[in-house]
Amino acid sequence: MSLIRYSTRRVLQAVPVLLGVVAITFALINAAPGNPVDIMLGPSPNQAAVETLKAKYGLDQPIHIRFWKYLVNLVQLDMGRSIYYDAPVTAKIAQRLPATLLLMGSSFAFAIAAAVPLGVVSAQRRNKPTDHLTRVVSLVGVSTPSFWIGLVLILVFSFHLGVLPATNLVMPWAPPSAVAGASTRLGVLVVAGEHLLLPMLSLGTLQMAAITRIERSSMLEVLSDDYVRLARAYGVKERTILRKHAFRNAQLPVITIIGLQLTTAIGGAVLTETVFEINGMGRLIVSSISRQDFPLVMGTTLVFAFVFVVGVILTDISYAYVDPRVSYGDQE
Amino acid sequence: MSDPLLRVDDLQVQFFTEDGVVRAVDGISFDVHEGELVGLVGESGAGKSVAVSAIMRLIESPGKIVGGRIEFDGETLVEVETGPDGDPYRTEATMPDGELRERIRGREIAIIFQDPMESLNPVFTVGGQLREFIELNRDFSEREAREEAVSMLREVGIPEPEARYGDYPHQFSGGMRQRVLIAMALACEPSLIIADEPTTALDVTVEAQILDLVEDLQDRYGTSFVWVTHDMGVVAEICDRVNVMYLGEIVEQAPVDDLFYETKHPYTAALLDSVPRPDQTVEELNPIKGVMPEAIDPPSGCRFHTRCPEAREACTTTNPDCREVGFGDPPHRAACIKHDAFDAAYSGSPPLDAAAQQGFDVSLSGGETDD
Repeated sequence: MSLIRYSTRRVLQAVPVLLGVVAITFALINAAPGNPVDIMLGPSPNQAAVETLKAKYGLDQPIHIRFWKYLVNLVQLDMGRSIYYDAPVTAKIAQRLPATLLLMGSSFAFAIAAAVPLGVVSAQRRNKPTDHLTRVVSLVGVSTPSFWIGLVLILVFSFHLGVLPATNLVMPWAPPSAVAGASTRLGVLVVAGEHLLLPMLSLGTLQMAAITRIERSSMLEVLSDDYVRLARAYGVKERTILRKHAFRNAQLPVITIIGLQLTTAIGGAVLTETVFEINGMGRLIVSSISRQDFPLVMGTTLVFAFVFVVGVILTDISYAYVDPRVSYGDQE
Repeated sequence: MSDPLLRVDDLQVQFFTEDGVVRAVDGISFDVHEGELVGLVGESGAGKSVAVSAIMRLIESPGKIVGGRIEFDGETLVEVETGPDGDPYRTEATMPDGELRERIRGREIAIIFQDPMESLNPVFTVGGQLREFIELNRDFSEREAREEAVSMLREVGIPEPEARYGDYPHQFSGGMRQRVLIAMALACEPSLIIADEPTTALDVTVEAQILDLVEDLQDRYGTSFVWVTHDMGVVAEICDRVNVMYLGEIVEQAPVDDLFYETKHPYTAALLDSVPRPDQTVEELNPIKGVMPEAIDPPSGCRFHTRCPEAREACTTTNPDCREVGFGDPPHRAACIKHDAFDAAYSGSPPLDAAAQQGFDVSLSGGETDD
């Protein structure tokens, strides 16, 4: 099975990539001026106190020793303790990650679910009113920053209409007792949905617009390919051509774009979390950088890198699944 | 002679582009009888592919059939007339889209495209694609269609057809893919196969194999062919009758031997002269001077007069139709007023030779300043 061999190889290739991310992040943090001890003790600190604190956090050791220790701990899933929160980094991440994953996952789901049919219909009705409308919407979508969309949505739906909450997220799996305004399972889901809707739209619009544009142009290109003309010449119905002969081929560039959108989504998550005051990974990473909380910066960056690498691997595997030529070299 | 299987009558196809109307096919007529292999020859851009695409109404926007009629086996595939408002419209006799798709495309007329590398869908197996079209056009069950696909692959010379059935197109060479496409066409058991330069993308030895294969299969199945090519060698090898196209028009129409030995049109003569032959050195090759003008702005009079060594002044004003100019059956037709069948003042008209050269230059520079 060439697909399985290919996927295995892709997963193994991710290991050196992650190792590289660890090394670069570690080097960058240490290259940046200042360190957490300076921040904790303020201006003109007591020299003895500096030495004590440095020894406490292991900052007195040479950088290669510290890097090696960090790697050894990381393999055991220990990312050290946050200096600011004085808690294990892993615990802090476990607390913040679900909100970010929920936000990113739902915005991607929204983007794909809306963009793929829009793009296909737009291509099928090229230069007709539906197509023009879709193109205008997607052009506006790719040119509008997500935080601005978020602010407008808050202004309209929370401030003026007052129908949707403007801040925070509610996890759909939270117990009903812990959620205000919900007494049943279903109630929790409704409240969670209400909270999620605006952030999801503001983060997902850009992706939706970008994917729609690619889906449309990719479908148009495939629809003029010889094998589609051949299917038409052999009496295949237009609907079957669209669904079977053209759709699968047209998804290759779309998959690439979805994979690349993951980076913009991570950046967008930081802004969206700020606008909607969601306690997620995005805000955690920003605040830990400004506090020079070394272990926490390392941990959050690594988690984002991990999410991204997983996304890229999934992209590559779906690529190979759609196009048999990709995994051809992995045949026995 | 019996009624032809395919009759194309005064077909006109135009492309409505932003730069203007391109008259890609401008009133061509030809027919194909049962079991016949009819060639359609001409330089790139002559309108050959557009002409054959029109037969199954596969012309895509911005192209449109704006005139003429195509009859197949007694049925009208398309008939376009010009209405009182000057707009072309399809007459009542034209077969509806759904019927054309279900009864004609694939079932009665199959097509083989030029580029075998692009004609198969890269994400589906070769066998699966073959099976789908057989299933659709012969009302077979999936299992029957699969068996037929394997046996057709064997028929066209694919080794180990059962094993290759599940392979993807990228695992086949160009020649093998073209064999698959021929198998696809034959497996649907059509009465007519349109072959649009099927060997152009292949190297010479593979081309020879494919031509042998087609001749052999045609003997056995009795399928008629329209064979589009720009290669006079291919024409000589396989065609029964030939239509020579230049700039959207048919300029000569003759049985293959007559075309080669009693050439009636200066363009055909020039085409034959430009084919390299082993008994001539390369220096003696005599290519046709100039390039074919654009179909968007064809020359006045005879369209070939700007490049014709025999052009006279009368040629700049008269655009001849394709008339019978020789004796024999099937008839030999040509569109050149030097023949007596045209009552034009050719012999009294002064030659254009020197002037033609000049006129050609002028039209070239004129074209540039227009831009």
